[in-house]
Amino acid sequence: MGCVMHKNWIESNTFHHSEFKDLDRLVNAKQRKNISISLCLPTLNEEKTIAKEIVIMRSELMTRYPLLDEIVVIDSGSTDKTRKIARAYGVTVVEANDILPHLEKYKGKGENLWKALFVTRGDIIIYIDADIKNIHHRFAYGLLGPLLLSDNIRFTKAFYDRPISVGKNKWRPTGGGRVTELVTRPLFSMFMPDLTQFLQPLSGEYAGYRSLFEKVPFYIGYGVETGMLIDIYEKWGIDVMAQVDLDRRVHKNQDTKALGRMAFVIIKTFLQRVQKLNRIDVKQDIFDEMIQYHLVRDKLQPEIHVLDQHERPPMIDIPEYQEKFSSIERK
Amino acid sequence: MEKYLDVLPTFVDRIRKVREIIISNIVLIGQISAPTFYERRRAEFLVERLADFQVDECSIDDFGNPIGVIRGSSPEKRSIFVVAHLDTFSEERTDQHYEVTDKIISGVSVSDNSAAVGVLASMPEIFRRLKLVFESDIVLVAPNHTLARGNMRGIRRLLQKWPDPIRGAICLESVELGRLNYYSDSMIRGEITCNIVSETHADRYHRPNAILIINEVINEILRLGLPQKPRTQIVIGKITGGLNHGKIAYEAKIGFEIRSDANEMVKKLYGDIRDIVDETNKTFAVELKLNRISNLNATRLPYNHPLVKCGARILNRLGVKAVSEPSETALSIFLQRKIPAITLGLTRGNNYHQDGAIIEIEPLFKGIAQIPALIMAIDNGVCDA
Repeated sequence: MGCVMHKNWIESNTFHHSEFKDLDRLVNAKQRKNISISLCLPTLNEEKTIAKEIVIMRSELMTRYPLLDEIVVIDSGSTDKTRKIARAYGVTVVEANDILPHLEKYKGKGENLWKALFVTRGDIIIYIDADIKNIHHRFAYGLLGPLLLSDNIRFTKAFYDRPISVGKNKWRPTGGGRVTELVTRPLFSMFMPDLTQFLQPLSGEYAGYRSLFEKVPFYIGYGVETGMLIDIYEKWGIDVMAQVDLDRRVHKNQDTKALGRMAFVIIKTFLQRVQKLNRIDVKQDIFDEMIQYHLVRDKLQPEIHVLDQHERPPMIDIPEYQEKFSSIERK
Repeated sequence: MEKYLDVLPTFVDRIRKVREIIISNIVLIGQISAPTFYERRRAEFLVERLADFQVDECSIDDFGNPIGVIRGSSPEKRSIFVVAHLDTFSEERTDQHYEVTDKIISGVSVSDNSAAVGVLASMPEIFRRLKLVFESDIVLVAPNHTLARGNMRGIRRLLQKWPDPIRGAICLESVELGRLNYYSDSMIRGEITCNIVSETHADRYHRPNAILIINEVINEILRLGLPQKPRTQIVIGKITGGLNHGKIAYEAKIGFEIRSDANEMVKKLYGDIRDIVDETNKTFAVELKLNRISNLNATRLPYNHPLVKCGARILNRLGVKAVSEPSETALSIFLQRKIPAITLGLTRGNNYHQDGAIIEIEPLFKGIAQIPALIMAIDNGVCDA
């Protein structure tokens, strides 16, 4: 059976960061729209990369061009110097556990992104991973461009030609995105072909309007990107979304077993979502344990990882958030 | 002259306020690889960056030197050069990633000379923040082809063709804060290469070994008498050779530098080394070659030149001890052309030419403060006497 796909989207809503390098134009658009912009960096032991990200973003997009109004680091309890270093460069640093502390505590990137909605002030929020070795301010202005220059785009996602770091100063120019090609894309092809047009649906860098993020639930772990994409698509349609080519992103490679666990969570997220949307009926419980095997003295031994998926409700449903942002006009 | 000394402490604090711009420039420029003769991409980025900082005229000259000119208020005044060499000792041609913490910046070649080039790119913004306007044109240049075989080609050619007179020059080196160089030694850098015809079955155990031949040459060089006056030194700084542990080496090479404050002594010693090479060639019947890869003549500003005194006063006011040593940098090319110049260090660092090169961030602000202060002094005529 063939699929029906919104075929023009990939042409009309795919951009390259260089289209937005005229930062004066972006600043003018921001002023015209009268909005504020927050950059959120979720961290967990990122002492090697956090300062460079902050310094370049502050220098280029705050001091030189008033595009960002704040940079906020949301930390998951780093045991290295991440928080100390970030504070030394004058940005707001908050521990995730200290935000809405009466709620049950979870640890994960999605938790930080969700809690960032409570801490940040911006009408637009940019999320950028804090482990990018070749950080450049294009990562932020590239994602901002379509949001500022278009009237209907509300969410942007990055894609890359991403080499994988395989050793000191050694790069493998292709690769990455294995979970995308082996898991996410087949699932999207089967159920939501429109979303296959996202070249890297799992990329960790995205931006959007608060008015959109606050209305979608956030998964805590690896499922955050998949869940978010499906929810935005289902609620507002694909035309509010765009993707931006940010060229190269150098990041650490993950071993196959780690990718297996990531795939587990993404499949589970997907199944939960399509079940919720009444598109599929799974007639048994989906288990939380990922079972992998490894050799110990010539014997295969199971290695069981409990990968339970927690989901935070839309932030707008949280009373403290409603109170804090009640007087703020949504853009 | 005291005016700039009085404002120096405020300079340091105000420069610290733009530390993110300075660090960003160091990182964004330093991460672009630029071994000697392969500096083009770094040059293009620097020029783009200078243009982005609203420098009046930005260009890459015919020799590949990136140049930014900040026009002065008085058209008849001669220009003041601020120079930081663009190329690096690292021969790595792929881009590197720097690391930044709250205290240091680390990465390949950051201390020689990427930090200085990043500071050069930051100068337009620093002048703006310090509200400084000069009568002279300020010419920001990062000359290419400087190191080793480059033999300062970039700055030599630039100065040969520069159309207007130059009032003075400040050469920037990333490290060490406190260096105040105003003279350069005479210097010849050379390489001696030994090649043996590659092995055949017949003679594999009886061939001469290139490493041992080079060893003979080193021993002969070490026997040369070096006077204490004129102060003279021969440094054998590089050695390569051989293939693996069990094979007789058929190629070996050393790199050396002869330095002296007397040109004649350097020439004489180079002649002596040539004789050693000829003699060894005859004795062992091998192919031993001597190549001169770069040279400089000894040149200096008098120690009591107003520019030197001014540099020393600035360091003193900043609480930094001045250290003067000979410097074989662009400084010598300016001095040879009778242009008053000094070389400054910008910060402290470690592992200069190794993988773990680092520079400290905090001392950088004092290091940078020297530059506007010295430019103010030159603009007020300290070099014009």
